[in-house]
Amino acid sequence: MRTDDLIAALGAEPSPVRPVPLGRVVLGALAVGGAVTGALFAAFWGVRMDLSAVLFDPFLLAKTLLPLALGVLAVPVGLASIRPGGVTRAAAGLWLVPVVLVGLVAVALWVTPPALWWTSFVGHSIATCLPSIFLLSVPVSAALLAAFRSGAPEHPARAGAAAGLIAAGVSAAIYSVYCTEDSPLFYAAWYTLAMAAVIGASALAGRHLLRW
Amino acid sequence: MDDPRDLRWANLLRRANRGERQAYLMFLREIAPVLRGVIVARGGARIDDSEDILQNTLIAIHEKRYTWRDGDPVAPWLYSIARYKTADAFRQRRRNRADPLDGVELTTPDDATVDPSVSYDLDRLLAGLDDTSAHIVREMKLRGASAAETGAPLGMSAGAVRVALHRALARLSSRVGQPDAPPRTSKEKTHENR
Repeated sequence: MRTDDLIAALGAEPSPVRPVPLGRVVLGALAVGGAVTGALFAAFWGVRMDLSAVLFDPFLLAKTLLPLALGVLAVPVGLASIRPGGVTRAAAGLWLVPVVLVGLVAVALWVTPPALWWTSFVGHSIATCLPSIFLLSVPVSAALLAAFRSGAPEHPARAGAAAGLIAAGVSAAIYSVYCTEDSPLFYAAWYTLAMAAVIGASALAGRHLLRW
Repeated sequence: MDDPRDLRWANLLRRANRGERQAYLMFLREIAPVLRGVIVARGGARIDDSEDILQNTLIAIHEKRYTWRDGDPVAPWLYSIARYKTADAFRQRRRNRADPLDGVELTTPDDATVDPSVSYDLDRLLAGLDDTSAHIVREMKLRGASAAETGAPLGMSAGAVRVALHRALARLSSRVGQPDAPPRTSKEKTHENR
């Protein structure tokens, strides 16, 4: 088929289109995925008993707020990744999160006696933490990947990674209110590892599912 | 964004998305040579290939035109789609490299002298398409029916049939490249050409 013929054929199709509000589609998916994750969490994990007593510990607040901030800041990054030629300045803000985390680790090293560094780091729940964060992220990343399919990502793996970043942030924030490990020495290491696994898996899924 | 060419494209695309066919045709005719340049520069150097990539890019633009937001610059949006389709073509070519017949130029067989096994392979391939697409490929490529003839009983315009045919052939050729697909035959090779 000659290109001119193709153009004529494309132009002959009835062509009014309504722009798809990708932002709303993605936020809708985030809400659905987040609700499923929240329901799973309520059913199988649950909020720790002493939450109200420790609510205002800055280390604890950070354990919830940092991943949440990461997830929220990743939303515009994800949206830009599925819009051809899309750009966002939000990506710059993402770097604040690891910077704050490194600061928290430094403070934790300062206030924790060196004899306790190792026990704080290893904690007592690595085997729960890693699979929990991963499993809780699945509904969110699945919903986001499905929504991303209505976009047109130039780099499917990167778009998948962005979906994973959002999902990892949400799931780590939710898991953090179950988790009783309160030292940044623990969560800076293990939450980060679990979230990296989520991002990697989602990037891999994106590479296959987000082709168009 | 204030680039006059981009403003003109934005204007054409806006009107096209509202359903103005003439604006859409003008838009596609204007962007085609520019995109051809982008694709050739990105490495689709063999003219034959780059024309295939260009056509896939145009179809992609057509199918994804709802992702353009009024107010966004048009050129980066177009180039991103062209870059994706170029990279995608290279990915598929790399996958096809394992194919022993790749690179062997097969000539177009006369329809009357086609090897019967070809039609068997083709049937298997066509089984992977939806019924309408398979019907269109059979009618137009095997029986040589015209787009209008093929479209009439389906209630499709000739243009819609041609686009559907193009898409079906693109899907077939990508399936032929996959490892679990039946081997490439001369017939399908023919289909990739215009």
